[in-house]
Amino acid sequence: MEVKVKGMSWKETLRGKLMGHHMTDGWIYRSAVYVLLIAIAYVFLYPLLRMLSMTFMSTADLINPEIDWVPQNWSIMNLRVAWRVMDMPATIFNSLWFTGTLALAQTFVSAMTGFAFARYQFKFKNFWFMMILLSFVIPVPLVLIPRWMMFTTVQNLTGLKLIGTIIPQLLMTILGQGVYSAILILIFYNFFKMIPVSLDEAARIDGATSWQVFFHIIIKMSVPTIATVFLFSFVWNYNESYITSTFVRSAMKLMPLQLALFDSIFERMSAGVSGAPGGQFRINESFKMAATLITMTPMMIMYVFVQKQFVEGIEKTGITGE
Amino acid sequence: MKPKKNKSSKYFQRQQNRLGYTFFMPWLIGFLVFTLFPFIYTVYLSFHKVNLNVLGWTTVFNGIDNYVTAFLRNPDFTPALIQFFLTELIYVPTILIISFILAILLNGKFKFRTTFRVIYFLPVIVISGSVMNQLMNSGNVQIGNVERIFVYQIIESYSPQLADVIAFLFSNFALVLWFTGIPIVLFLSGLQKINTNLYEAAQIDGATNWQILWKITMPIIRPIVLVAAVFTVVSLGMFPINPVYGMIQNAIFDTVGGLGVASSYAWIYSLTILILIAMLYFVLKDPSKDEYVVDERKEQAEKELKRIKRMRNQEKWKNLRLKKAGDKHGS
Repeated sequence: MEVKVKGMSWKETLRGKLMGHHMTDGWIYRSAVYVLLIAIAYVFLYPLLRMLSMTFMSTADLINPEIDWVPQNWSIMNLRVAWRVMDMPATIFNSLWFTGTLALAQTFVSAMTGFAFARYQFKFKNFWFMMILLSFVIPVPLVLIPRWMMFTTVQNLTGLKLIGTIIPQLLMTILGQGVYSAILILIFYNFFKMIPVSLDEAARIDGATSWQVFFHIIIKMSVPTIATVFLFSFVWNYNESYITSTFVRSAMKLMPLQLALFDSIFERMSAGVSGAPGGQFRINESFKMAATLITMTPMMIMYVFVQKQFVEGIEKTGITGE
Repeated sequence: MKPKKNKSSKYFQRQQNRLGYTFFMPWLIGFLVFTLFPFIYTVYLSFHKVNLNVLGWTTVFNGIDNYVTAFLRNPDFTPALIQFFLTELIYVPTILIISFILAILLNGKFKFRTTFRVIYFLPVIVISGSVMNQLMNSGNVQIGNVERIFVYQIIESYSPQLADVIAFLFSNFALVLWFTGIPIVLFLSGLQKINTNLYEAAQIDGATNWQILWKITMPIIRPIVLVAAVFTVVSLGMFPINPVYGMIQNAIFDTVGGLGVASSYAWIYSLTILILIAMLYFVLKDPSKDEYVVDERKEQAEKELKRIKRMRNQEKWKNLRLKKAGDKHGS
């Protein structure tokens, strides 16, 4: 057998290299995979690349049909205008504490719910589990109207200011009805199931209550999972603009809301500029793209540092296993 | 060992109930107050005229008037709903197929695998309603113009409807891809759980890669397809690619129609989504778990068993007879 392999002609060797022994290890297949992956990655990134390129174009470049990708006169004027219009340093701090609070609440309540399902055999457990999964499917607009009515009613009755603050969303989130809550609960449920029950029992024998077990054993053992859930919750709450724009409206300056209202804010601000030459303060796509870039940047920076948590986080849900 | 039904097990069960519901309580209250009650109340509202006055919210029954408004008086709602339904019908299979192909490609071992995974997951991080709106309005999601391509013109001359569908798909193609982020991860983790021995066994038996894909990978991945499909339907609904979503929000703050009309919109829209999910469930659910299929298979197995037993018996008797004959012959 050895002899035959040594005596292989160059044609056969080449064929082996190109086509491989199985279909999947030849050069042709490999380069085809790379070409396909790069092509699709280009399409994925196309809107973002265009956004970047337009952000740095000056007004002259924007209307020049010869310039497609690379700006001729680089300018950061667009970024500065967008920065002003979005009232930037304030908006980003607002956004961060608003999102952070919601994410903390959501992580905590998801952990509690996940713990209940992973550890206790209470009555109607399976029914409630189905309800958690179903709550994911129920479209938000369907439940939004009565929620909105409830909060306005309470606001009118008590005189407390609810609409335009974080309170309605915080209340919904801490009661487990936040953005994509079902997925986060599933992540915790699957992780807690893997922690051996004997640990709980050992602590119980030593006289710990179930709250102590939860806080001192379960929570401390699942710090990486908590981090993953918190990150997902943070991203989803940051990017959520439907519920936020209903309950906060324009009372608070938050990143995605400012971006959604960019046109009207821009008009209001540029109306105050006196003696502006006609074309210069007209809104253009570059301003909007700069604003979009600014809105995305905090999440992008975060993603660069913790991308592993994100990509592997979904696998932990176990929704693929059952 | 099964716990006996005695006093201690009853106590145990009661304790389990108490502790379980303690930890579960926040979610349960939230579900009842903010999801279940609104779910039912929206149905009630959709048959009423809702007004806000000094006394608070007042509702007056007005039959199906809101639904008449939705379907007949508002010229925008029905087309938007149809467009939404078509969007889902076209986009969901496209997203699933593309993400499945990408998952298979990413499942191999090659350089820069992590880089590609990071790129394909990036949209999940940055996608939001307003970002999407800005990108769509600036025309940055459209790659080239499909109507200039020769093949497209050929298709258009044969069937304009099909051409419309293709143009629609391509005009937002980058955004379609943006929804593949989570399905790719779901498929990948499913693919990695498949035992490689299965592939090897099939290859030894002479199966081609194509056969392996359809006979081994597909059936195993099937439950994940359902999960990914449901996720895609839900998340597609939550972005401005869906015209109905914004319409409902505008109706909430619209003083003329009021919340009654908004509720009827929301209810019609939700019904559409639930129908879509039910459709997906019936198309994608695992047929081997159907009761009649299981029964059929059981019957088949029993028949087979009987046949084998009978044959064994026959063979046994045959051997015995032969043996006897041989003995006779030998003696």
